Amino acid sequence: MRGLYAAFLLVAATASVAQEGFPLDGTWRSESTAKDGSHRTIVLVMQWDGKSVTGTINPGPKGIDFTGGTLNPDGWKFTLDVKNAKGGPVHFEGTISNLGKYNRAVAGKWTDAAGTIDAKFVHE
Amino acid sequence: MKMKNHKKALLSVALLAIANMAATGVASAASPAGVPRFADGKIRLDRVPGEKGYWDNPSATSLVEKGVNVAFEPNGKLKNIADAGKVAPFQPWALALYKYRQQNNFVDDPMKVCIGPGNPRQMMTPGGVRFIQDNNYKRMYMIFGGGNHNWRTIYMDGRDPPNAEEVNGTFLGLAVGKWEGDTLVSTSTGFNTRFWMSNGGLPHTEGLTLTERFKRVSKDTLDYEVTIDDPRTYTRPWKAGWTLRWVAGDIPEQFCENGRE
Repeated sequence: MRGLYAAFLLVAATASVAQEGFPLDGTWRSESTAKDGSHRTIVLVMQWDGKSVTGTINPGPKGIDFTGGTLNPDGWKFTLDVKNAKGGPVHFEGTISNLGKYNRAVAGKWTDAAGTIDAKFVHE
Repeated sequence: MKMKNHKKALLSVALLAIANMAATGVASAASPAGVPRFADGKIRLDRVPGEKGYWDNPSATSLVEKGVNVAFEPNGKLKNIADAGKVAPFQPWALALYKYRQQNNFVDDPMKVCIGPGNPRQMMTPGGVRFIQDNNYKRMYMIFGGGNHNWRTIYMDGRDPPNAEEVNGTFLGLAVGKWEGDTLVSTSTGFNTRFWMSNGGLPHTEGLTLTERFKRVSKDTLDYEVTIDDPRTYTRPWKAGWTLRWVAGDIPEQFCENGRE
């Protein structure tokens, strides 16, 4: 039993550092502070369908689905242009860092109705 | 008269023997010399009772499209990074990721933390391969001495491959197999993306389908061919292939610990 537990811990530990395929697939979270001092959490769930990046911003009742995300592998630039529920623009442009790591990140400027913030989305 | 009957009898026996051999495949004209078979005529990909041996010494050290001539280091690193685009028909993001992995000395290679090699990489990782043919349960088990000493199962019972969209992806996928003549054909789907299928760092997504063909072309030679179909990563399906050699003895013991073997 102790051996099984050790094996489980080993698998869990090793899986957490392995690299995935398409670098934007998965769940990403940004925790940041706006200029007015308020805290903002933004969650992105993204998939790659072979043509474009699709997904949801802040999954839940007020989640915003999107289909037109783009990734430019020349410099690993990720861009997102979406309309929120009221038709207002949501824009993000960032660059992937730690590309080879499971907990890689996309850092850039996030702009929506609440203003523009520096956002760093970390892969979960 | 007696002689005539004797000749007829001999001819009949010969014809019966030929018909029987054709039906079972035993020692048929097309049968590779010295390749052992089961009683039903199916090729033995593994040892016969009382024998010791396994497959090893792969003739290739990295995955590259058939017909493409590029030079690699033994660890899968391209001797000339400018050749990266020739290795496979990459989608742009996949080529960029392949180059990234090539240029950072594979620091993110999952095998460095004892995550096992993907299916084609298993077949080119030194350490030994055996095929355990379970004809009662219609399954084939492949056991590997290299990497993290894993095994995989090929279901030979006629089931369909799973819909990759409906399963949780795994490191080795779910494989179904069939015999096409003397060739074992295995189709695997339902992969996750946490492994590398080549030591050079070729990317893939959950949309990956691998079709592997195993053929024992002689007592000591196994032909291996893989078709890689992942439209999210590659612009078209592509093939690679190499051979393995029969080695006498047992798969040597080794253990993967902290990525070191």
